[in-house]
Amino acid sequence: MKCPRCDSDKARIMTKSPVGGAWEVYVCNHCCYSWRSTENIQISEIFKLNDEKIANMGMLPPIPPLKK
Amino acid sequence: MSKVYKDLREFLATLEEEGQLVRVKEEVMPEPDIGAAGRAAANLENSPAIFFEKVNGYKYSVVTNVHGSWYNHALMMGMPKQTPVKEQFFELNRRWDKFPVPPKILAREEALCKENVITENINLFDILPLYRINEQDGGFFLSKASVISGDPEFPEDLNKLNVGIYRMQVKDVDRLAIQPVPVHDIAIQLAKAEEKNEPLPVAIALGVSPLVTFMASAPVAYDQNEYEFVGALQDGVPCEIVKADTCDHLYVPAHAEVVIEGYIIPRQRFVEGPFGEFPGSYSGCCKQCEIQITRITHRTNPIFENLYIGMPWTETDYLVGLNTSIPLYKQIKATMPEVVAVNAMYTHGIGVIVSTKVRYGGYGKGVAFRLLSTPHGMPYSKIVIIVDEYVDPFNLEQVMWALTTRVKPGKDVVIIPNCPGMVLDPSSNPAGMHDKLIIDATTPVAPEPNPRSCEMLVPSPATPKWEEILRQLQSAAQKKQEGNRL
Ligand SMILES: [Zn+2]
Repeated sequence: MKCPRCDSDKARIMTKSPVGGAWEVYVCNHCCYSWRSTENIQISEIFKLNDEKIANMGMLPPIPPLKK
Repeated sequence: MSKVYKDLREFLATLEEEGQLVRVKEEVMPEPDIGAAGRAAANLENSPAIFFEKVNGYKYSVVTNVHGSWYNHALMMGMPKQTPVKEQFFELNRRWDKFPVPPKILAREEALCKENVITENINLFDILPLYRINEQDGGFFLSKASVISGDPEFPEDLNKLNVGIYRMQVKDVDRLAIQPVPVHDIAIQLAKAEEKNEPLPVAIALGVSPLVTFMASAPVAYDQNEYEFVGALQDGVPCEIVKADTCDHLYVPAHAEVVIEGYIIPRQRFVEGPFGEFPGSYSGCCKQCEIQITRITHRTNPIFENLYIGMPWTETDYLVGLNTSIPLYKQIKATMPEVVAVNAMYTHGIGVIVSTKVRYGGYGKGVAFRLLSTPHGMPYSKIVIIVDEYVDPFNLEQVMWALTTRVKPGKDVVIIPNCPGMVLDPSSNPAGMHDKLIIDATTPVAPEPNPRSCEMLVPSPATPKWEEILRQLQSAAQKKQEGNRL
């Protein structure tokens, strides 16, 4: 399954609706994007992700040095 | 004694009695309906809370906009719903001084949040009708969850127990992302755990009494326990808490709808966001922490309380308006008794208006310096307006009067470059740094020269009498008009 945000094929089913087979929720293992099967997903160009963007992404909060 | 709510349900009942809660009985879709309704409520005046009884595909209900109007805010404090904002400010200010009121620790069997326990096959979707709040959000978010965490160095010190609201993205059926911004208390605790590569235990309470949410989003000092403030704001009635099941030093609101327990995974970061935030724009993606969920306890038929956030004003702005203003007021007042009131309601305190008596020439700027060195004001406040003691800082018409008649830009407007800022302010550059703007809109006091005297108009002593006469005439005229319509 293809992720609508990063175009990787690492998306999987996260869960199904608890009642009545109404929908499924998917998640991308590569960029963590998640969406519901009943949604009309249109990701703005500015929020699309690729490997380079993910590699250069900031970290919040920074990881402190290990204390011995 | 004003009304005190032991849990969310009691508050919702009061909102309904007061015409401040509406029920949507028909089934709605999680997207786009719940987010859109939250936005719509923010567009109305005196908005009610919205209770969605049935959400497609889910078992339980959702409530939003619980804090989303000054009417609901007044009812939260047990005051009449029409109470003006400035009066709510002074009442909060009065109760604030009752801090600390120790919480009441209940036995596990007395706590309604322990009615049901889930430890296997944990799936948040079974309990919470999760939904996307804004279209470009990276997933489904918890926007109104109180996160409870302790200090790993002093776990038994309840003063260092922190209750705070942090946005959380649902990353999997049993995993949540959390955003501990470095200026917030939980980041101090997380750093101590991560230095030793240890997990940080957390408990997350959803659907709590309204003053717990109110205090969880208030910027109080690191060693001040939020539950002791809840007791103060309940006018001395202690907040009821209970020990978490998985961690001996964490305490949760005893009658929360849902309690999620788990730990922050140390020294790992994962993609989070984007998320529509309180400045009215999206904050982009960033690598942030994740929480592994190990246990859920919940009330029978739990209600999922969540809020809409976006272009101000939304429920968030009502929630953090006065709880940001009061601590700033208290902190400045402690050293500058001339200060009358602080309005830090605009975009979470990025804009602040302070009214003060001017003790000596230039004092207005001194008040601004003091604001800009408080824990919240230093990073958040960017535009600071100081007005005289007789100007109501909550009345923007009066503040505009002060700006137009008291500001000489050449001496009263000051810009201080390169100061601490707030990352979510989209004008901060680099993110987290900005310039400060101080506008001194007070009347010059010696030794500052005031070369032009201005004679203030004084109302006739008969004015209050005539206000009353006009009020009665207007009310009679309105009644007559209603009679004609029938
Ligand atoms: Zn992806």
